[in-house]
Amino acid sequence: MNAPFFKFDMFSVDFSLVIAFVIGIGFGFALERGGFGNARILAAQFYFTNMRVLKVMFSAIVTAMLGLFFFVAFGWLDLSLVYYTDTNLIPQVVGGFILGIGFVVGGYCPGTSCVSAATGRIDGVIYLFGVMAGIFVFGEIFPLISDFYYSSNMGRVFLPDYLGLSYGMVVFLVVLMAVGAFAAAEWGERKMAAKKSGGSK
Amino acid sequence: MKFFDFIKKLNLNIKLASLAIFFGVTAFLISDPFDNGSSTISTKDLAVMVQSEVDHVNVEDLADWIIKGKADYRLVDIRPEKEFNEYNLPGSENILITNLLESDLMRNEKIILYSDGGVHSAQAWFLLKAKDYKNVYMLRGGMDEWKDKILFPKLSATATEDEKAKFGIASAISRYFGGTPQIVSGDQTATSVAVQPSTPVAPKIQAPAGSSSGGAKKKKREGC
Repeated sequence: MNAPFFKFDMFSVDFSLVIAFVIGIGFGFALERGGFGNARILAAQFYFTNMRVLKVMFSAIVTAMLGLFFFVAFGWLDLSLVYYTDTNLIPQVVGGFILGIGFVVGGYCPGTSCVSAATGRIDGVIYLFGVMAGIFVFGEIFPLISDFYYSSNMGRVFLPDYLGLSYGMVVFLVVLMAVGAFAAAEWGERKMAAKKSGGSK
Repeated sequence: MKFFDFIKKLNLNIKLASLAIFFGVTAFLISDPFDNGSSTISTKDLAVMVQSEVDHVNVEDLADWIIKGKADYRLVDIRPEKEFNEYNLPGSENILITNLLESDLMRNEKIILYSDGGVHSAQAWFLLKAKDYKNVYMLRGGMDEWKDKILFPKLSATATEDEKAKFGIASAISRYFGGTPQIVSGDQTATSVAVQPSTPVAPKIQAPAGSSSGGAKKKKREGC
């Protein structure tokens, strides 16, 4: 047995949809349990009053990264068969900014808006309509922006190759960064909480 | 036991962070997860595969697939470039054994290897199998058998009706690939070599795409 299972024809395209459904439900459940169905918690990240988003994201990144690294090292996973998008640097930076602005203004990212809508929050439902409208507009104007969309293509780039470091080194640095970010976040939250309680008295 | 008490007292965050750092340091020591040089293959499994010959593809089957435009495989010619340029099977691509592992062949692809006979392709087969390529096959008899059975099928003068019927089909296939079917008279030894014309120029068929690029591979739908 060797992953990725789908690429080795362990199941059909039809069955892969069933698996995607199950994983999607799990993903949504984890987001909801993490508190990501609540726009207040998500938006608080941008004002540094609640660092939960940073902590959850870094936990997920570190877990997935370590898992992938060791699976590859054990020979359980063929990473060359895992799909990665190309890097189109400038369009992706611009896209990141647009997503970020939408995130601050609306309080959700696309995934969390689905979670929020599924738990019956009205702002989540409205946000989801916004997402649909955005997708529609993007689709309609795509011919006009497709040149830009495909510009500055760097191919499939990985940090270790780009930085000239070993994969293990990058994994180690990201773990250090995550642990550092956790410590800083906890410290910041205590500071903020102290300031708040001091101010309200 | 003091050590365990100490660990018990730590809160969950510290424990998880320590675990992450432990794995991070281990990753740093492993450094490169991809090529550990050795690969684990079950020699027993290999032996069973060789015994049962599931790793073989007949020239007749391959000819059938090419005619039908089947494109779920990569046909790899491992002969030297010069021989490849003289004649190659439709849809094949030329990869030397030395370049095999650095080529763009994917581990999940169905790969059919062929050489002149069967020895080189068998060696290449082992090479790929050792590197955990899943679906590697070799063309039974290689190019020699392809010429014998597909391009220049022979019918002896004393053939039965049944054999003649089969020869009709073989002739059609032969002509499709630009070959010439032959009817052999009494003494075979002289004719079979002498009559055999020079290998045909690349046959005119459209399936499956370019002769050396192998562009006809079917890609799985992917995206995020």
